[in-house]
Amino acid sequence: MLEIKPIFHALCRSKVGAILLLIQIAITTAIVSNAAFIIQDRVSYLSQETGYPEQDIFVFNVMMFGKDVSPSQQYELDEAMLRQIPGVVDAAYSSNTPLSGSGSSSDFSLKPAPEESKSARTSYMFIDEHGINTYGVKLIAGRNYTEDEVIVTDNYDELSKVTVVTKTLLDELFPEGNGLGQTVYFGDIPMKIIGVIDLMKGPWLKDSRPDNVALLPFIKPGTNARFVVRTEPGQRQSVMNRVEEAMLKNYNKRVISRIRGLDDDKESYMAEDTLMMRMLIVLITILVLVTALGIFGLTLFNISKRTKQIGTRRALGARKSAIISYFLVENAMICIVGLVIGVIAAVYLGQLLMQHFSISQLDISYVLATALAVFVMSLLAVLAPAKRAANISPSIATRTI
Amino acid sequence: MLTMNNISKVYQTDMVQTHALRDFNLQVEEGEFIAVTGPSGSGKTTFLNIAGMLEPFSEGQYMLDGIDVGKLNDNQRADLRNQKIGFIFQGFNLIPDLNLYENIEVPLRYRGIKAAERKRRIEQCLEQVGLASRAKHLPQQLSGGQQQRVAIARALAGEPRFLLADEPTGNLDSLMARQVMELLEQINRDGATIIMVTHDPELARRAPRNIQVVDGQLADFTLYQGTQNLKAAGV
Amino acid sequence: MFLHYLDLSWRSFKRTPLVSFLMVLAIAIGIGVTMTSLSVYHMMSADPIPEKSSDLYTVQLQTMDEGRTWWTVDNMPLQLTYQDAVNLNQANAGGKRVTMVRTGFSVYLDSDKVKPFIGQARLTTPDFFDMFNLSFIYGGVWSTQQEADAAPVVVINKELNDKLFAGENPVGKMVYLDDASYEVIGVIDDWDITTKYYDLNNGAFNKTEQLFLPFSLMKARQLENWGNTNGWKHEKTNTFNDKLNSEMVWLQFWVELKTPAEKQAYQDFLMAYMQEQQKLGRFNREKLTATLRDVNEWMQYNNVVSEDNEILVGLSFMFLAVCLANILGLLLAKFLRRAPEVGVRRALGASKRQIFFQHIVEVAMLGFLGGILGIILAQVGLLGVRQSYSYYQSLATMDLTMLLSAPVIAISTCVIAGLYPAWLVCKTNPAIYLKSQ
Repeated sequence: MLEIKPIFHALCRSKVGAILLLIQIAITTAIVSNAAFIIQDRVSYLSQETGYPEQDIFVFNVMMFGKDVSPSQQYELDEAMLRQIPGVVDAAYSSNTPLSGSGSSSDFSLKPAPEESKSARTSYMFIDEHGINTYGVKLIAGRNYTEDEVIVTDNYDELSKVTVVTKTLLDELFPEGNGLGQTVYFGDIPMKIIGVIDLMKGPWLKDSRPDNVALLPFIKPGTNARFVVRTEPGQRQSVMNRVEEAMLKNYNKRVISRIRGLDDDKESYMAEDTLMMRMLIVLITILVLVTALGIFGLTLFNISKRTKQIGTRRALGARKSAIISYFLVENAMICIVGLVIGVIAAVYLGQLLMQHFSISQLDISYVLATALAVFVMSLLAVLAPAKRAANISPSIATRTI
Repeated sequence: MLTMNNISKVYQTDMVQTHALRDFNLQVEEGEFIAVTGPSGSGKTTFLNIAGMLEPFSEGQYMLDGIDVGKLNDNQRADLRNQKIGFIFQGFNLIPDLNLYENIEVPLRYRGIKAAERKRRIEQCLEQVGLASRAKHLPQQLSGGQQQRVAIARALAGEPRFLLADEPTGNLDSLMARQVMELLEQINRDGATIIMVTHDPELARRAPRNIQVVDGQLADFTLYQGTQNLKAAGV
Repeated sequence: MFLHYLDLSWRSFKRTPLVSFLMVLAIAIGIGVTMTSLSVYHMMSADPIPEKSSDLYTVQLQTMDEGRTWWTVDNMPLQLTYQDAVNLNQANAGGKRVTMVRTGFSVYLDSDKVKPFIGQARLTTPDFFDMFNLSFIYGGVWSTQQEADAAPVVVINKELNDKLFAGENPVGKMVYLDDASYEVIGVIDDWDITTKYYDLNNGAFNKTEQLFLPFSLMKARQLENWGNTNGWKHEKTNTFNDKLNSEMVWLQFWVELKTPAEKQAYQDFLMAYMQEQQKLGRFNREKLTATLRDVNEWMQYNNVVSEDNEILVGLSFMFLAVCLANILGLLLAKFLRRAPEVGVRRALGASKRQIFFQHIVEVAMLGFLGGILGIILAQVGLLGVRQSYSYYQSLATMDLTMLLSAPVIAISTCVIAGLYPAWLVCKTNPAIYLKSQ
């Protein structure tokens, strides 16, 4: 017993309240659908697998100003020292560290430069044979390089000849799957791919090829070096507390700085996206609350305006449930129109965002889910005032104002 | 068809108890036209509300067409109200956002009558009160007398057992009042039972039976035609 | 009369405290959210040097072969090669100019009092301080002769001076940078810019450098670049000299051009320069392009205001619209309920305009209160932003412009929302409401 036609006519005759509600519902739907989509996108970005046991790894910078030792030799000594510290699983010099937003990249190609050939953007790290273990990544094919294959030097006389790469890079350069054992070129330097790593993210999570990483066994440190250390679970903080002193004891004409966890680096890199996600969540929460309160308030007002009418209806035989359903139906009608406009607005807004910003295409399921949620929310917001209306006594009808 | 036995209504507010009706007894037969008079504050409106099942009563028994009203729950009272009683209010109480057709339709929809049947009844009742041509108009576009006639049409459309009229001419000028009274008399001649609350003695005189509510209790006396009999009765 | 309306408005507020509070709250929330994202946006996009932002220009040269791309919208590299930077620096064209590179050192004194730490440094030609409006609290900049001689001198900032020399005049004192000692010749005052517009390559909102040294030191001492180095073609760059002669880009260059004529002249000069270089085998392309961008254009080109921020500002204003729709509804309810009183006022001689104005004042007062409360909410929001993302420390604040904008936006949006209800209530026919009920 839905009095749809009369409710509709009544709404048409006093449009303003309905239009205000409509606008709120439409805008809320448009904003929430898009914001939820962006949030979801960010959440999957923020929670992506990086391939590292991040909580067990820390990195630090070394800046050597003393000129009386050879940097590469010193770092060998440092590595040995670090590996002896109780709680340390492995340690290594690393030309740069992943997830930090800072690193080196180049094109690895099938033919030596300057010949034109297929190439893939790759971020690379110079690190010795302890690299794989220190970074805690998985070798899934081939082998790690041996100690002999690692070149530790202060000049460019001899260059490394092998490399271990990630599977993504291998597949990009050799889609037929026969990459292992092949030679790739770093500029004009040939390297044989001897090992393949499963998942390993490079320095920039927002890169065009964040998963293409190559490890190169060529250690020629500059004055600015980085070290990476992996510890037993739970031991990281205590080792971090000791490392500066230990390094300076080995050689003190240098500055040890920025001792931080790999997860801290990732957090800093992702901080802006985290902020955006949080702000969007706050925004849509407040928005939904404000709209719900708006519906609640407007309905209360409508009811107080129509008290006489409600009493009359009761006097004419309306059950309490009929009064409640009157308001639910009235609200549902406004809501549906608002939602239709809102869905269109949401799609349009999604298009705008996609055109002007690097947001991907809005998934329609977000719009529909939001519309449904808004519909349910608005019915719930009307319910309490409607119940109040139903309790208006029929004897109001005989009272003279 | 309507019997009230020892009906009393007490309003309790904080410390104060108000006896609006006490020991109220009334019997109404089919086809009667009763005017209910009394000073203001006497309990006329309370009687009306109880008769119309708009309010529950505190004590006593109310039988309507053999149904014990006291034993009904809120939904049952609403249904019974809808089926058996037609209301005519002093303030007309038409719903301003609905046109005349839709206004009359309201109680019919609550009864679940189908659209075609509703149409038939509404058109018939509008015809009966002489406003068939203005079905699509809004109440604000009508005069007071016309609005009251629509209210009467609304009351009639449900084919009620009796009409409850609360000061039906209270907000009308004398010309319109007379028209409304004539309409009510015609409806009564056609067989409807009417209980009309009024404070206008002119109006009350036109009803064959008068009852007076004083201090929450009933004094019943029937007026015969002619004022001589009033004098004879020592009034 | 205005004060009288204020008085009426205040009484009206007190009469329906709950509804009034809800309205103020609705506006405050809308303003709070909007001002939070707007403040960050404002700080990010604010002109860092308004006195001369349209006089300072970066230079971009299209050095790549035909068909090569860069990740910028116009494929222009963001920095210059060493050769180009040096050539332009020495050229007889344009006003003041600066070429620079970012680097860093281990910093320590001869005493044991301060542990060696990393100092952020900038190698630059001497016009830097004048061009970017820096002021010295002690000493001054190095001379052109010192620049030519790659003299081991350094200008430090106030923060570093406080740390190393307890804030006293350090001119003439020595400081060790890596393995060499340098003479401190000046101290610059706090440089409070939120955006590091002069070098946007490694974080637009990082702090400015602590140490400034003559640019010529880079070649003389083979100092490392701590900024970005990008190459587009395969080149052997094993030695430092290889790097200096390569086509890799890693230097920043700014030139001061005060009039359109100067700008045009410089543009012509750049074209002539590129043609000349072509003869030397560089600029291996048909179409020669050089771009000049002033400070604000440069910031926009580098997307200093991130997309996320722009999206948030847009969504915030939409949110404000929802709050307004809410308020509109409440205003309608409140004003129409007051129609009988308005009827009496009209009967007593108030004109429609006076009634309208009375209600607009009430609405404006509502906006004002909401704006003030909104500022408080925005401060809470900005605190949350700073907590969440320390990089935004100096960005997530409200400067004077924002503090004033809040009530202005609040009042104007409320007045717009209130126009319809105020108009409705002033056109009611008083007679209707004067009839007794």
